[in-house]
Amino acid sequence: MVDALERVTNLVALLLETRAPITLEQIGNELRGQYPVGDSALRGSFERDKALLREIGVPLETEVLGGADAGKTAYRIDRRRYELADLDLTADERHALQMAVAAARLSEGEFGLLKLGAGGGVTTTVVTNIPDAPALPALREAAASHAVAGFDYHGTPRQLQPYALLLREGFWYVIGRDLAHEADRTYRVDRIEGKVDIGEPGAFSRPAGFDPRRAFPTDPKLIGDEPLARAVVHVDAARAGSVVADLGADALVEQFADGSVRVEVPCANLDAFRSWLFGLGSHGEVLSPPDVRNEVVRWLRAMVAAR
Amino acid sequence: MSAKRGPRPTSERLRRLLVMLPWLMERGEVPLAEMADRFDLTVEQLVKDIELVSMCGLPPFVDELIDVWIDDGVVSTGIPRVFTRPLRLTAPEGFALLAAARVAMQMPGADPDGSLARALRKLAAALGDDAVVVEAGAPPAAAAIAAAAESCERLHIGYWSATADEPSERDITPRRMFLDRGRWYVIADDHRSNELRTFRIDRIASWERSGIFGDAREVAVPTGDEWFADADLPVVRVRLLAAAGWVVERYPTRSVQPGLDATVVELTVTHRRWLEQLLLRLGPSAQVLAPAEWVDLGAAAAASLLVRYDAEGNDAN
Repeated sequence: MVDALERVTNLVALLLETRAPITLEQIGNELRGQYPVGDSALRGSFERDKALLREIGVPLETEVLGGADAGKTAYRIDRRRYELADLDLTADERHALQMAVAAARLSEGEFGLLKLGAGGGVTTTVVTNIPDAPALPALREAAASHAVAGFDYHGTPRQLQPYALLLREGFWYVIGRDLAHEADRTYRVDRIEGKVDIGEPGAFSRPAGFDPRRAFPTDPKLIGDEPLARAVVHVDAARAGSVVADLGADALVEQFADGSVRVEVPCANLDAFRSWLFGLGSHGEVLSPPDVRNEVVRWLRAMVAAR
Repeated sequence: MSAKRGPRPTSERLRRLLVMLPWLMERGEVPLAEMADRFDLTVEQLVKDIELVSMCGLPPFVDELIDVWIDDGVVSTGIPRVFTRPLRLTAPEGFALLAAARVAMQMPGADPDGSLARALRKLAAALGDDAVVVEAGAPPAAAAIAAAAESCERLHIGYWSATADEPSERDITPRRMFLDRGRWYVIADDHRSNELRTFRIDRIASWERSGIFGDAREVAVPTGDEWFADADLPVVRVRLLAAAGWVVERYPTRSVQPGLDATVVELTVTHRRWLEQLLLRLGPSAQVLAPAEWVDLGAAAAASLLVRYDAEGNDAN
């Protein structure tokens, strides 16, 4: 038997060139000597080839025939769907894309560049490590084609009309309309379990002017039942400058002669607030409100007690 | 792009062929070595695939063959046939290209109307829609750092050192800049220690150009997984309850052993102070198992913070 590469190359050529969809029987005839003899051996071999073609992204079309061949499945590759659309990139644009991909060091991106006619090793001064998650390409495709995405999250199946993907603070989020909850929801993409099912394209439209950056607050300290809750924190001179630069001048409550400051910090999300506070080490102390201060003290005492 | 050694799966070989053939057909002839280099293959691998494909074509496989041959180290094609255009972009390729371009648009100095922005628009149009939004805003010092890295210029910076827990002034020559988990870093020659050091750019509070230019130097940047995986750094073993589970997603781990009610992870510790802060954030939901000298680190850190609260004697307990 011939090399598997030779057989699948011939198979792609045959399916691209055929005018009408052809059945497995016809394929076996045309590629005689390349597939094993016998119905089940032929079927098994062909199923593996089909899986291989789908894996590398060849759009294989199937059709159930009528008439004399009623019930038989026929196959072809639609050239219009197979071929790369001409992006019409200028040399400048191709180079810019090449630099962006080189900075990201994504192998799928590098292969995509080869298809776009750019390629070759480039090293960039700036490197961007982009987090990866298996669900990302399918979710993007669903969002782009306005198709419902189905996936499991925390062990529960979800049906989402995905509006967009957002990369924030090193994590990818998918934001859209959750059909079961009838509400807009945000999901962490790396927590999606298993495969994403993509429904029919054009199933919904994205709300006009939708901006995923506004779907949930940038500052995790704001995410809670009382988004307006604020704590007053005393920050020593050593960290005062960077804290005020980070929070903005509006957060400044009082400035002292020794260079230390009092600032107002969102504390709707106590976990996020504590994380932020402890990031200051011994240079920060929460003064009020009393329940937040007590909670911090309780937390620290529990740690000491666990020794 | 790929490991050049070892057997190559058929899918990988076909995937490459479907891009190589149209590329070759457009050019007519290309030196073997040049083509192998472009498609990240050894010359032997390329010869093997080209010889094989020269026997491929349409039934009855006599005159409808793919017209390719190798002569004197040059690959040539005759009449372009069957594989005249590359295979469309797959979902993972499309996503990777868009994401890389979107992230690059967040780099200091990116021009919203420049060539990358135009390429991105064409790409998004070809892929139906973009649907990818990236927030990776570079800190104020980033543009100056990037420029210095390009020209190998020494900078005088004011830096908040988390390990020393104090501000410091130093001279650095930036080499490479990188974005990882939402933060920007610079790898630079640190002229105080004469070593290569990594600095967080958002902690660079001030910077001044020196007009002193060094020689170019090759410096590798860690990938997301290698980051912190330095063999010389100590490793801590921590038992995490569910509430502390986010640590596994946030920081690179050496090992993860999930259990019924807790997960045991091994983390690389860049500095004791980093571990102290992590333990404070995790509180009662984390417990250090090893090494012995760090078992009480969290409790000690909590005790030293409590001094400040207890001294004023005005907490409600």
